[in-house]
Amino acid sequence: MATIPDQPQNQRERRQSSDHESFLSHRNMRWLKVALVLCLVAIVSYFWIDVSPRHNGGSWYGYTLGTIGALLIVWLSLLGIRKRNITAGRWSLKAWTSAHVYLGLALIVIGTLHTGFQLGWNVHTLAYVLMMVVILSGIYGVAVYATLPASLSNNAREMTRSQMVEALAAIDRQLQSAAQPLGREESDLVIAALEQGTFDWGIGSRLSGRYRKCATTRALAYFADDWSRPVGSDDPKDKVRALLGRRKSQLDQIRRHLRIRALLEVWLYIHIPVTIALLAALTAHVISVFYYW
Amino acid sequence: MAFLIRTIDLTADGREIIRDRAVEDDTITIGRGADNDIHLPDLAVEQYHARIDQLDFRKLRVEAAGTLGFHLDGRVTKSGQIDPHEGAELGFGSYRLVLSQDGPGPPTITISQAENAAPSSDDLAGFSLAGTLPGKRASAWLALTAILAAFLAVPIYSHLTRPAASTTADAPHSKGAVVMDASWSTGSLSQAHHALEDNCEACHAEPFQSVQDTTCLTCHEDIADHADKPRQLTGRGPMSTGDALQWAVAEQFGKEGPGSCTTCHTEHEGAGRMEPAAQQFCADCHDTMDTRLTDTKLVNAADFGTSHPQLQAAVFTAPGQTRPVRVPLSGKPKEYSGLIFPHDIHLQRSGGVAKMASRLGTKEGYGSSLVCADCHTPTADEVGFLPVNMEEDCESCHSLVYDKVGTTFRTLQHGDVEQMRADLAALDRAPRSSANNGMLRGRQRPGEYSRGGLYYQNFGPPVRSLVAVNRAMAKDGVCGECHIPTTTNGKPDVMPVNLRDHFLINGRFDHEPHKQEKCATCHKADSSKASADLLLPPLATCRTCHMGESDTKADVPSGCAMCHAYHPKGKGDQSEIKAAPLAQGPTGPNLPKRQKQGINQFLAMLGRKSE
Repeated sequence: MATIPDQPQNQRERRQSSDHESFLSHRNMRWLKVALVLCLVAIVSYFWIDVSPRHNGGSWYGYTLGTIGALLIVWLSLLGIRKRNITAGRWSLKAWTSAHVYLGLALIVIGTLHTGFQLGWNVHTLAYVLMMVVILSGIYGVAVYATLPASLSNNAREMTRSQMVEALAAIDRQLQSAAQPLGREESDLVIAALEQGTFDWGIGSRLSGRYRKCATTRALAYFADDWSRPVGSDDPKDKVRALLGRRKSQLDQIRRHLRIRALLEVWLYIHIPVTIALLAALTAHVISVFYYW
Repeated sequence: MAFLIRTIDLTADGREIIRDRAVEDDTITIGRGADNDIHLPDLAVEQYHARIDQLDFRKLRVEAAGTLGFHLDGRVTKSGQIDPHEGAELGFGSYRLVLSQDGPGPPTITISQAENAAPSSDDLAGFSLAGTLPGKRASAWLALTAILAAFLAVPIYSHLTRPAASTTADAPHSKGAVVMDASWSTGSLSQAHHALEDNCEACHAEPFQSVQDTTCLTCHEDIADHADKPRQLTGRGPMSTGDALQWAVAEQFGKEGPGSCTTCHTEHEGAGRMEPAAQQFCADCHDTMDTRLTDTKLVNAADFGTSHPQLQAAVFTAPGQTRPVRVPLSGKPKEYSGLIFPHDIHLQRSGGVAKMASRLGTKEGYGSSLVCADCHTPTADEVGFLPVNMEEDCESCHSLVYDKVGTTFRTLQHGDVEQMRADLAALDRAPRSSANNGMLRGRQRPGEYSRGGLYYQNFGPPVRSLVAVNRAMAKDGVCGECHIPTTTNGKPDVMPVNLRDHFLINGRFDHEPHKQEKCATCHKADSSKASADLLLPPLATCRTCHMGESDTKADVPSGCAMCHAYHPKGKGDQSEIKAAPLAQGPTGPNLPKRQKQGINQFLAMLGRKSE
């Protein structure tokens, strides 16, 4: 085994204390190690301990795993309360979050071994499935938090959100005056584009980035179709077309932003309510098991 | 070249005042300074903020003069090119400059002052998903309420308010009254309890109370204890620390204790057979039980392959025994059945018996020589074998014909000595053929042939019938050939057959799963010269296939439960030997069917009379 000389070690520690440290690598991944040991102990004991006739949640070993799992679930869900009380030090929020992630992952092993791989259409499996949904959405959350913020700032190109909205408003004002000479049908298209709300889109459009009913695209298609005019003419339609094109590209930037934001946020809409549902199912699971003991 | 600069001002009452002026220059400057072409009195604007150069007819360049940028179509920039025909909007502080150009006219710059235009936080909220999806809080509450109601409140309420359980016998098989408790079931019930699948409260009678033995015993009322409770406790010895701790905890939660039904019989493990207890469960007590239960007659056993006593068969070993004796199957075990039957002669591939079998041929169901199945018929469930029946299994060779009248043969009735005596006494004494070969002097054995080399029976009459009866009972007589002669009340008689139909008292053997084996693998019948040979295999024979539960190399790893039952059949029935002596004689199991039927009819008649 190679030993690391003292000098670089100290340097690294100094750097760590000053640099930003992700909650994932907090304290040399202390909680990853704790979680791994927990999983290893659970797996080894699962095969070592002989439960007759086969492993299930109702053996003494099953009860032990279940108790650990239930306590973990309750503690993990307390992050929502803990994060609202900002403190530093030993139980810093970063430490807490690090533990939340790694112990949450360990719960996959503990929960699954607790089931003894006996699943069915019942409240017990409901609790297990909800737990897995929460954990998987959490994994997704960690993954997007690690990757997407970079693309969010790439897309912004040093524009703030209010600047994006303001830029769109500036284009819209010009469009409003440029469209004055147009006929009824054409002005209706422009009005439709201007009146369509930038943010009035559902989760599907936001996540996929496909806006099939976009009035700006439709108007642009109408004006772009007319090739009869010579290039560089002063027809007001050209002006409208150019402005609609600018409106579209500004919309695209906003929509890319919306998409990344949606990808970043959507997991919480699963993670949080399903956690609460899990707590309910867990309560029903524990009570029902002992009610019909 | 020129610019047209149009200023829009608002009067106090909201009226717009529009002023136009032309700047005859290719470049105009924008700033707070009064000497700029476009003077914007806003502190957010620099003294000399930017300039606009006209590059050609369709191209304007806007450039910041200092370090501060400006808004071009909402974006902050320091320089940009604009086609005034397409139009653009410049922003300096609170001022908006809209550039446009119509036809061949000069570019127009329209200046207006905007109200504070920074988008409010409401405008920015649209970037978040908050308005798009149902709120986290709302959906959380909804899910919480739905789950707690459906899976907790409803079942508990309907359990507490259910009607009292009916006491009729079929009640456990009716559908349960508790709603939604199927969602609590952790798995299907075993085959035996399948009828209870929808009736949870049949077993889970009281809330928060583990299933009680008394509940099990309402149906399983005949289940007896494995042994007396104190003997069981002594036999088991002290629990290990781990077990003791486990039970201490379990009993705190209301479990009944290590001897309760649910300790071994776990349910909800899925449909199918309920798994029997593991070998270790038996071995925990039985491996060293003689050290704790010093008076036990049981030998220690922990593993069929390595630690199991020799098998013992319950048989009769002497004439007139009424209770069977257990004989170890090691060595050459003997029994006394009262029958004379050498298996080896009957199973020979050649010789008299084989010859006769092949002569009788397929009409009687025989092949070229006798095989086991010619005489031994399995029971309907194929667990064991029916008693050998003289009329069906022996008589086709060992004929009881004693006379011929015309073309009809007269046959002695098997199993009834008095009848035989009467038949023979009434025998027609007219000579028929050579008396020398009369059957009653001694039946010919198969293989002894008459004139012409053919087996045949001589139906010659006895000279004196009483002598004939005595001869029939003699050692080589028609009865004495298979039965041991004796004298009852001064009259010749034969010993009753004393054969058991099963031999293992504490174990269970099923022939059906062993069908693939030949009979001779376990039963060495072809070398047995006397019926006294107990043709049951010793433990070693079983072990060629069967070894202990954990023996992975064995053909059939076998736990205790494969042969042994834990619970005695009924209360107080600790051992079959202690039970009523095996019935023999007229009601015994070895009687031919015909005779049994007769007895039944006779009993039925008696019954009618007594009424």
